[in-house]
Amino acid sequence: MSPPGGADAASVTDDLRAFLASATGRDELLRLPPGTALFGTAVGLDSLTGTLLLREIHRRFGVDVAGEDLNLDSLATLGTLAAFVAERARPQDGP
Amino acid sequence: MSRDGPVKCVVWDIDNTLLTGIYLESGDQPPGADPVLTAVLAELGERGILHALASRNPPEAAAYTARVTGWRFAAAECGWGDKSGALTRIAATLGIAVDALAFVDDDPYERAEVGLALPGVLVLSPEDAAEAAGWPEFSPPVITPEARRRGEMYAERQRRQAAERSFGGTREEFLASAGTQVRIAAATAADVPRLAELAARTRQFNSAAGRPGAELTQDWFRGLLAAPDREVATVRLRDAFGDDGMVGGCVIDRDAGTWAVPLVMMSCRAMGRGVIDALLAWLIRHAARAGARRLLIPCVASSRNVPLRLALAAAGFRVPEPAGPDDGGVGGNPATYQRDLSPPLPALPGRVSAPGEPGGDAA
Repeated sequence: MSPPGGADAASVTDDLRAFLASATGRDELLRLPPGTALFGTAVGLDSLTGTLLLREIHRRFGVDVAGEDLNLDSLATLGTLAAFVAERARPQDGP
Repeated sequence: MSRDGPVKCVVWDIDNTLLTGIYLESGDQPPGADPVLTAVLAELGERGILHALASRNPPEAAAYTARVTGWRFAAAECGWGDKSGALTRIAATLGIAVDALAFVDDDPYERAEVGLALPGVLVLSPEDAAEAAGWPEFSPPVITPEARRRGEMYAERQRRQAAERSFGGTREEFLASAGTQVRIAAATAADVPRLAELAARTRQFNSAAGRPGAELTQDWFRGLLAAPDREVATVRLRDAFGDDGMVGGCVIDRDAGTWAVPLVMMSCRAMGRGVIDALLAWLIRHAARAGARRLLIPCVASSRNVPLRLALAAAGFRVPEPAGPDDGGVGGNPATYQRDLSPPLPALPGRVSAPGEPGGDAA
């Protein structure tokens, strides 16, 4: 599901994987299944990496996850976060 | 003025500011240090305020300025980009909010550029800076040993970050290899000044920040220590790179089945070192051991405290009925995070000692 101006969830998923791998220095995160819990032991998202991830999402996709999602439920899994971002993404360049 | 709260770091220009002339135009004899501003560096440094440099000079000018002022700067940005960009990078390097910076430059154009791009920064001319030591923004209510050591701790932090970048394993493995020790303990009267200082200075990890009527003074903490149904806990952090002293704390309101936490706070210096997660996990275990069924943490959600909100979400806290402009929206209204205390309870890593836990004090 991709409304006008939205982004493709699969490509957002790849972008998020690449960011997590580079922020943590752990290449195995490049192959993370979409159903993986982000706060669980596999990724171990904490307040530092989480803040960096949300800042990167805001910069790249123009989506303020923390501003729209009080409980941060969108951060449940890689897949839920990618869907949340893809649905709200707007182009960052051009008119 | 749109900023609020105390200044944590002053970013200084070099030419005609900290130096009495222009570094590159002085040939073999670079200008000396401005004596008045050198005294300001020392006076603010004593209060735990950091200093950094932002200059269009080559990096040698920063090294020269450090030598002639006798000051070790926590960060230096040398280059031709906008000063607002330099300030943003300095805040990121030091792990503090851009709004906690002040900026001193003799050039009105530079001051205007920073003032426009970063409205939360306190922008000063060198003349203003000479008097600023008396301003409330530069006068933390208490000055603790932790505050006086702050410059050194940032140097330790830079060594720790360099080691972590080259380490290769997970953060958990790095924390273990660095000998990280988190110690949670019941607060005593001697802890009150540092507790009040943390309450005044922390923003990214402070559940009471922005809450109407929150007066987290030394008197408030002293009153809590004497109250029968209250607990105040401190969190200390050290590892092989250095001793950070007290980096956090919390206040607990024990009330039968439901415990409330009116304050949980942590210095952003301890970010990424497993401290806030340990504190929240201990709170959950501590309340559950005492027979409580729910733990409540009131917190005004904002864009400022996203790091705390992430830690709360990771520890299983939620706001049951979010109020906001639209469903799930964050309106800056007071919210109450809740967590059910039925098993399974979170584990506490072996590097954490805490009341009621193996190796910790009695609860």
